[in-house]
Amino acid sequence: MPIVKLVSEYFGNEQARNLDWYQKHGGYAAARKALFEMTPKQVTEEVIKSNLRGLGGAGFPTGKKWSFVPETDDLPKYLAVNADEAEPGTFKDRYILEWDPHRLIEGIIICSWAVGIHQAYIYIRGEYVRPYRILKAAVDEAYQKGILGERVLGKDFKLDLHIHRGAGAYICGEETGLLESLEGKKGWPRLKPPFPAVVGLFKCPTVINNVETLAHLRCIIERGGEWFADLGVDRNGGTRLFALSGHVKRPGVYELPMGTPFRELIYEHGGGIVGDRRLKAVIPGGISAPVLRADQVDIPMTFDDLNKAGSMLGSAGVVVMDETVCMVEAMHTVAEFFAHESCGQCTPCRHGTGWVYRIVSRILEGHGSEDDLGTLMHAANYMTGTSICALSEGASMAYRGFLTQFPEEFKYHVRHGKCDVKEKRQAVA
Amino acid sequence: MPTITIDGQEIVVAEGTTVIQAAEKLGIYIPRYCYHPGLSIAGSCRLCMVEIEKMPKLQISCHIRVQDGMRVTTNSEKAVQARRAMLEFLLIDHPLDCPVCDQSGECELQNFYMEIGRYDSRFLDNKIKRKKAYPIGPHVILDQERCILCSRCVRFTDEVSRTHELGIFERGDRSVIDLYPGKRLDNKYSGNVIDICPVGALLERDFRFQCRVWYLQSQESICNGCARGCNTQIHYNTARPYKSQGRRILRLRPRFNPFVNRWWLCDEGRYGYEFINKNRIEYPYLRQAGQLELSDWDAALEETTRALKTALEQYGPESIGVIASPQLSNEDLYLIRKIFGELMGVKDIGFKSPWEKPGYQDDFLIRADKNPNSRGAEEMGLTSDVRTILESTGAGRIKVLYVFQHNFNAPEALELLRDTSVIIYQGTNWNQTAERAHVVLPSATYAEKDGTFTNFEGRIQRFRRAVPPLEESKTDFEILSLLAERLEYPLVYSDPGDLYMEWRGQSYEEMDPYGEMLG
Amino acid sequence: MTAAPFEFTPENQREFEEILTKYPERRAALLPALHLAQLQNGYISPEVEDYIARIMELPIVDVREVVSFYSLYFRRPMGRHHIRVCMSLSCMLRDCKSIRDHLHKRLGVPPGGVTSDGSFSWEAIPDCLGACEIAPMMQLDGEYYGNLTPEKVDEILEKAKEADRQ
Repeated sequence: MPIVKLVSEYFGNEQARNLDWYQKHGGYAAARKALFEMTPKQVTEEVIKSNLRGLGGAGFPTGKKWSFVPETDDLPKYLAVNADEAEPGTFKDRYILEWDPHRLIEGIIICSWAVGIHQAYIYIRGEYVRPYRILKAAVDEAYQKGILGERVLGKDFKLDLHIHRGAGAYICGEETGLLESLEGKKGWPRLKPPFPAVVGLFKCPTVINNVETLAHLRCIIERGGEWFADLGVDRNGGTRLFALSGHVKRPGVYELPMGTPFRELIYEHGGGIVGDRRLKAVIPGGISAPVLRADQVDIPMTFDDLNKAGSMLGSAGVVVMDETVCMVEAMHTVAEFFAHESCGQCTPCRHGTGWVYRIVSRILEGHGSEDDLGTLMHAANYMTGTSICALSEGASMAYRGFLTQFPEEFKYHVRHGKCDVKEKRQAVA
Repeated sequence: MPTITIDGQEIVVAEGTTVIQAAEKLGIYIPRYCYHPGLSIAGSCRLCMVEIEKMPKLQISCHIRVQDGMRVTTNSEKAVQARRAMLEFLLIDHPLDCPVCDQSGECELQNFYMEIGRYDSRFLDNKIKRKKAYPIGPHVILDQERCILCSRCVRFTDEVSRTHELGIFERGDRSVIDLYPGKRLDNKYSGNVIDICPVGALLERDFRFQCRVWYLQSQESICNGCARGCNTQIHYNTARPYKSQGRRILRLRPRFNPFVNRWWLCDEGRYGYEFINKNRIEYPYLRQAGQLELSDWDAALEETTRALKTALEQYGPESIGVIASPQLSNEDLYLIRKIFGELMGVKDIGFKSPWEKPGYQDDFLIRADKNPNSRGAEEMGLTSDVRTILESTGAGRIKVLYVFQHNFNAPEALELLRDTSVIIYQGTNWNQTAERAHVVLPSATYAEKDGTFTNFEGRIQRFRRAVPPLEESKTDFEILSLLAERLEYPLVYSDPGDLYMEWRGQSYEEMDPYGEMLG
Repeated sequence: MTAAPFEFTPENQREFEEILTKYPERRAALLPALHLAQLQNGYISPEVEDYIARIMELPIVDVREVVSFYSLYFRRPMGRHHIRVCMSLSCMLRDCKSIRDHLHKRLGVPPGGVTSDGSFSWEAIPDCLGACEIAPMMQLDGEYYGNLTPEKVDEILEKAKEADRQ
């Protein structure tokens, strides 16, 4: 399938950051259409029809999420834009923030109109300094030119947009962790229920949407929800950005229709494996997604297909690993990440991530045993369905993915105290 | 009012009740660490997970509200396995300190492990090292390694004492509970964090290494530190006097009373039991040739009786003055009124020291009146003016002054307590008033007798004898009964319970466990 | 010797006032206030915490909780330039370990350290910086530098030092 350029249309084009250029090329026409020609309900309907799903990781149908916000007027409603992209292997939102900030602002306006929101915050991870500056310039310009503020695009509709910088914590990408951080506290996720749609930011109904999810709204309103749905497969609507990295010749961001198989992304667009080596493993959706084996690359890239295969599309951070990679070492890197990022609030995640990291480190050093493999599975099994939030779920899935897809490597390590992959590499060299 | 079935038992509860609360009403105790009824819900320990029909995932019972028709199993295989796994996770970095940890024997980690755990540890790596045995305030010592991060103590300092000393710093398994550097945990309720800490992370400095908890016995009592009357437990050891240098009372703990102190106790009350063990009057004394000489009960009571009878015969009841004490129980005060007021005809009976300044009071538990039974003394009508009584003593109208428990140390007062009259002192500890007496009768503290106090709100609360009176001291009830006998007054009370019955028309056993209101 | 108390410059004070207007609750201004303070002071010292606690009307322990939770707040003085080398999976696959070892050699201090002349401090972090397409990469101050080789690293360090000299 060919690369589509909807949300990635302006990637690489600095001019798109300029509001006048953006408008001249059709920008903010969709927002105008929504505000002046459609009711909020009609906008939500269109989004439901489009089968647009959350593109930050959870894949929840966006239109449905908006509809959970109660219609009552006694409390203000908020939009929190999740620009805390920190899932390892994911960098697609950064591209939108750097190359097409106005598309994001336009999406924010469309969403706010649909749900009845007059105050939106973009929570951007603290490490994204350059994207923050570009985004801030765009927001300032939008205010100056009446795109945001008391009368959005001239309509009697008020919308205030503020950018809130994070300070370095992966857990702030979790919806309620993000809200806590926005409210000035540690990013400790909240107990659910209640859900943010009812009790969210400052205890008011809140929608939380990923950057890319909002960026797609312009095209959906321009050309219709059905059109967008038809680009995709079943209930996975439209196109999405895939962030390809690892052992590929052309790492980068690729916009493809939902349903494209991995093979195409890796070999056709990504140029294949560096040095034309053999593919060994692919992580399909950020490191929380269970790793796939090389023989699974014909799976179509949709939320549903990957769920069926025991993994997930998640944030579509596709990490490619070739035959030189030791999967125990890969798991070690992943385990170190989760142990470092666990917020520490609840028992299974706080201790589970630390325990797994310590065991895998020991196995990597050559001092592991068969029993350790059982312990790892046990720890992973009790990190799922027992925690406050999905970080523990993601870690658990990641660990189980490595252990069940590449059991021979782990067994070799614990039986022989060394790495067979490394040995083979050295033998070849 | 939704109905819920828990482990096959049905119950109707108020809207908004959580499953863990509903279970408790049925007498089912779901294991938990972070949940505490007096604090906000944290939902972080994950121990209280239960299985709920139609919900695929286990749910934490401390957070989930009862829905009508809910069916809950607290002890299904799935729930128990999950709890076991949570305990195993907590024990990963928990040090093997049981042999040197005071909490041993009342440790929730030990308790739930013995109930649910029972596995061999498969943890082979190094545990994280943190601060140990680190005093964080005048009463509390912290061991960060033992901490299971239930956050009860942090929530206490945020929500109950509202002093914000403690916080949870860092992230992941590097999280620690600590003070802000340079600060101390020195609010007036700091000791409560020791009660609520399920493990030995927060311990009492005063109690550290004193006595293993399985050697302690417990008795229900009421704090005598102020007019609030917080409900307490006295933990004592009399069976093994060779432990902790013969210290009888090892610690006080709060007792739950929803109307008075709920789960809490102030530090002054918690640590205010020194006087029970120290500086006590242990024997009767008589003044001979200007000096207080060690005596015995027979001689002391004989002298007391002689002085009272002589004064009565020569000058009548106007020559006798009684200063009772708001430290005494209702039963003691009732008996004083009976003996001195009714039978002897004394009119000058007071209780309130005019030199006692009101102390610190707050909007939580602490009352300015540092006596447990002022209200009781008021209600008994022992309300003559004490200054007048003392002035009359100084002036010579009152020839025999019977003082209970007071410590008159104001120069003005001491002036009036000159040698002109006979002063009989009945009290627990030595002080300047006792030293001026002619007869000193050693009495027992509240921990050594039965009785009731009436708190400032009019709530009558029962306290019970924990340890026997020290050395030769006797309870006020006993002393007054012996005195009445020598004065030939026909009293037939065998114990304070009889007095309570006569006063209130009720037995101790019939009392509401949370106290009886006056009126 | 007690350190001098901290307070915002008049300009930063104005900016803080403006930040407060963006949120309906005062508490929400804490993270931006700390970023501003770190920009002015270089790191969050106890004096900064004290000041922030006062202007935010918060118990100081709450400030410390937040500072210790997030990775980007420094609690001790760092170098004039701060480097964060990404050690996450995609960078590991492109040999970030060599870059880390090279930096260690060039700077002469282990990760977490500050060079003796105070010019550089650095960390090797497990967090993904969101630039996997240019792996192996690092962040120097605000900028991302990718497709690193030891030579490129040296160039970047040189440029930073030169900028200092001017």
